[in-house]
Amino acid sequence: MPYGWAGRVLHIDLTRRKGATLPLDPVDTRMYLGGRGLNVITLYRELKPKIDPLSPDNVLIFGTGPLTGALSPLGSARFNVTAKSPLTGILGDSNCGGFWAPELKYAGYDQIVIRGRASEPVYLWIDDDDVEIRNAKHLWGKDTYETHQSIIEEIEDPEIHTVEIGIAGENLVKIANILTDAYRGTGRTGLGAVMASKNLKAIAVRGTKGVKVADPDKLLEITLKDIEILYSDWFSRLFSEQGSMCLVKIYQDLGALVTKNYQEGQFNPIEGLLGDYYAGKYEVKPRGCFSCPLHCSSFWMITDGPLAGVRAPKIEFGIVINYTTRLGIGDLEVGLKAIDLLQRYGLDSISTGGTIGFAMECYEKGILTDKDTGGLKLEWGNGEATLEMIHKIAHREGIGNILAEGSRIAAQKIGKGADKYAIHTKGLEHIECDPRGIQAWGLGYAVASRGADHLRALPAFEYTISPEKAKELFGTLKAADRFATEGKGHMVKWFEEVRAFTDSIEACKYITRTGLIWPEAQGQVLSAVTGLKLKTEDVLLIGERIVNVERAFNVKEGITRKDDNLPERFTKEPMPSGPSKGHVCNLEPMLDDYYKLRGWDVKTGIPTRENLEKLGLKDIADELERLGKLPKPKS
Amino acid sequence: MKVILVDPERCTGCRTCELVCSLTKTRECNPQKARIRVLSIPHEGVDLPIICQHCEDAPCRSVCPVGALRRDPQTKAIILEPAVCVGCNACMMVCPYGAITIDTERRELIKCDLCDGDPLCVKYCVTEAIQFVRADIAMKIRRKHALEKFVGPMLKSRELLPAGGRS
Repeated sequence: MPYGWAGRVLHIDLTRRKGATLPLDPVDTRMYLGGRGLNVITLYRELKPKIDPLSPDNVLIFGTGPLTGALSPLGSARFNVTAKSPLTGILGDSNCGGFWAPELKYAGYDQIVIRGRASEPVYLWIDDDDVEIRNAKHLWGKDTYETHQSIIEEIEDPEIHTVEIGIAGENLVKIANILTDAYRGTGRTGLGAVMASKNLKAIAVRGTKGVKVADPDKLLEITLKDIEILYSDWFSRLFSEQGSMCLVKIYQDLGALVTKNYQEGQFNPIEGLLGDYYAGKYEVKPRGCFSCPLHCSSFWMITDGPLAGVRAPKIEFGIVINYTTRLGIGDLEVGLKAIDLLQRYGLDSISTGGTIGFAMECYEKGILTDKDTGGLKLEWGNGEATLEMIHKIAHREGIGNILAEGSRIAAQKIGKGADKYAIHTKGLEHIECDPRGIQAWGLGYAVASRGADHLRALPAFEYTISPEKAKELFGTLKAADRFATEGKGHMVKWFEEVRAFTDSIEACKYITRTGLIWPEAQGQVLSAVTGLKLKTEDVLLIGERIVNVERAFNVKEGITRKDDNLPERFTKEPMPSGPSKGHVCNLEPMLDDYYKLRGWDVKTGIPTRENLEKLGLKDIADELERLGKLPKPKS
Repeated sequence: MKVILVDPERCTGCRTCELVCSLTKTRECNPQKARIRVLSIPHEGVDLPIICQHCEDAPCRSVCPVGALRRDPQTKAIILEPAVCVGCNACMMVCPYGAITIDTERRELIKCDLCDGDPLCVKYCVTEAIQFVRADIAMKIRRKHALEKFVGPMLKSRELLPAGGRS
């Protein structure tokens, strides 16, 4: 593997304090490319079903992709971290940008596979070929920022990059995440707790080797051309100016912006939360990940008032909204302060906000009282209580100890009908976009391989595509109608394939959201970097294969069609007001379509042997059959 | 005469310039081999591209004991001749910007040569944080940037600028 890939996997056994570097299997890279795809097949092979995610039996995998570290107009910053999730009990996986993954590639590794559990806190120091397991007792108890800074001082190199967990992870909070350089997070599925369960506080990397490129001239040429394509699009231009904060207005206008735990789809007054308000008042300068032409993030600072001086090099619509409209709060500064706290503690912003929203609705309905909350008034709009809840969850203090389990388990512990207000799928909290206002997103949430998740499908076309293009791609004009269910199974399947491919070459899904989403565009960059020539159907096939391996992993853990669901709030309670008024998410017909198109059994939602074999996954079909999970073939 | 103009306020820290530079000069993507480096302090929102300014009275050139640094008559760039260079590191030590570095793999000193008068880092910088402009115009551009910052809110209050975003 001379181009793109480094060709090596670093294996670390923390129990035995031993490591080994093994060659990357070239067949695996052909079938799964890298990143998300390579991680999931690795996890599938490593784990027996039903292991305890917080036991030494779990395996924590960090994976870069063939683009990582190369010049790329699609970004080349990203990595996936994968393990069994302690929050959901199924596939745990999260994707993150920044600068750590390119550094890891430059050190000469495509993937790190971490097994076992260290007997005391440690961190990993990877200095090209020299890998050291170092004592981290002095770092335990430190927040992510202090940890990052301490390691930089110890190594005496200001340009190294780190991933680390905060106090939430250490406390085995099930919604804890892993950060890189203390400001970008592998947000979802609680993998910070898995890292903590291994007594692993951080991984610091220095790499000097570089990435070899198959066709440098072609890559330079495509990069300029793709930057032009990117900026010819209004959506990308807006993203480059406001980042994902521009979505506040887009979802508000659709009437699909989470408000008070999805009781409503619009928040008013919205003006103080809009992207241009943020950009004008708080943004200092735009910032991008490695090799990124879009720079959707920014460094911001609060300059007056009681929170003056609070600042961070990262903002995301998905963070801000979870601590504002989701909780009935109109003050953007609560959202900004939340960013600072979540980064330091190492908490998933979506799940933490979702869980607080759940608790607030329980408080409204009298299921939780002042006695339960320790006197904290968990009322809609209470910013102070919101920030206090973040502290409590990270420290597992008082009611925070229950909420630290995520909303599904918290609802079970609280009882009294609380589960009605826990808005999750498969145990993972939903994001900010209400699927009653955009149907394909609802289907995407229901079938996503890591629980309620928008990024597995991210069917952006539902509100940006023309009906003509929708018909060409998905067989019906109605696919472009956000309230229709027709064509949505096809749309979600197509998007899932493309996104799985993007995650596996480790390009950015924001850059490839519109003009550069096409398999041809992404395949072209991959080809220039690696020399691998892929046709559109190859791209879609690799994506489909990855989606099926993820499904098979979850099937082994007991997942079937009944788990591909949405909370009743979305399927039974019509949106009370706004531009999506009167609509529910009509999931079942979309699910039927989706399984049929996938070649999965419609009754159980389990892949069939025929489909698995078509994808080169006979081994997996055999294993599912041995476990008695495979649907009987139709006679 | 043209000069490299760097604006840290526009730099997003994406390091595309490093990748384009190393890919052009060494056929691989490796920041260690780039003639331009971005220094970032992310938690304070600081990103600063470090690149040779081809100083008028260049200390690197004065200090070089073997005359390995020459000024190109056309582009006015200070060019390091690897065939002449003995690797004494004196130029690296006196450079006021830290813009001369060592390619540790090839064990040689490397620096910017302005790509024969068409620097690629400039071409690929989407926010124009690095520009290559006539020296007399450079100061005008700096003044314009400063003015934009100062006047922007004023113009906005009079609604002469779009409010940002699509309605």
